[in-house]
Amino acid sequence: MNGLTRGHRADVDALQTRFALRVASRLGEQAEALPHDLKERLRVAREQAVARARQVRLAQPETAPAFQVSQGSVALGRPLSGWLRMASAMPLMLLVLGLVLIQHLHEQAEIHAAAEVDAALLADDLPPEAYGDPGFVAFLRQPEQ
Amino acid sequence: MGRRGICKPLANDKELSDFLKSAEKRAFKRTAYAVRDEDAALDIVQDSMIRLAEKYADRPVSELPLIFNRILSNATMDWFRRQKVRQAAVLNFSELDFGGEDGDSDLLEALQAVDGSWASQGPSERLSREQTLAIIDAEISALPARQREAFLLRYWEELNTAETALVMGCTEGSVKTHCSRAVHALATALSAKGLKP
Repeated sequence: MNGLTRGHRADVDALQTRFALRVASRLGEQAEALPHDLKERLRVAREQAVARARQVRLAQPETAPAFQVSQGSVALGRPLSGWLRMASAMPLMLLVLGLVLIQHLHEQAEIHAAAEVDAALLADDLPPEAYGDPGFVAFLRQPEQ
Repeated sequence: MGRRGICKPLANDKELSDFLKSAEKRAFKRTAYAVRDEDAALDIVQDSMIRLAEKYADRPVSELPLIFNRILSNATMDWFRRQKVRQAAVLNFSELDFGGEDGDSDLLEALQAVDGSWASQGPSERLSREQTLAIIDAEISALPARQREAFLLRYWEELNTAETALVMGCTEGSVKTHCSRAVHALATALSAKGLKP
């Protein structure tokens, strides 16, 4: 019974497909016989679409050079894109390097100034311990006579 | 939709043009069946061609038919939305019921009748080619929208069931059901119009 049903189903499917393809074939004949003005309008529409596609392809290198036409171009395009990305990061890298350099120079200047003060103190006739003497501090605060 | 192919050759202008040339008449007829307005159908086909060219022209040639049919279906649906008559295009699935064994038996008889008539009728008995084409055109046009879409995509555009389902935004089972009902309706209608042995 099931075999009969499956066979029946297969017959229906085969006939359905054959019938559908015959109808589609007739539709194809009919489509080929479209009026001339309709064919012309379709031709113009097609040509406009192809022209638009050409414009889009020409515009692509400005925005996406890595996806150009051939594989050769793709192979050349990707490293170029990487270099462009690196080049775009260069100003930021230079800025960071500049800030580090300024910080370093500033620290060196502070160290140099402190060394000069220390050297002056040590070379002075007045011993450094004198600055810890309360009497000497009071002497310094006195207005000059 | 498939992704950008790595090994597949991308469509160039000539290939795109050749594809559109091969598809434009079918696209127009399919759209005209749906919207029943030649000017609107031409506009929809033209818009679909432009959309294909703008967004998908760099796809491999083999992907263009599926993409174009999807764009065309969406553009047609957009047209219905704009016209605010989408309800007229929505299939009322309950209006036809051809399920079950009895339905299959009827279908088998109808299909055999029509199939036999096309194969065996002599020239004097056969309807003229133009009349036959006109009847088929009218019956295709009279199909419910979803059945017609499934039938035309599956057997005219020669998409497989999965591709048809993708274009129509439904399941493969629905495609099979639509196609079966469309074939049944066409066979019955053509039989009734005199295409009998």
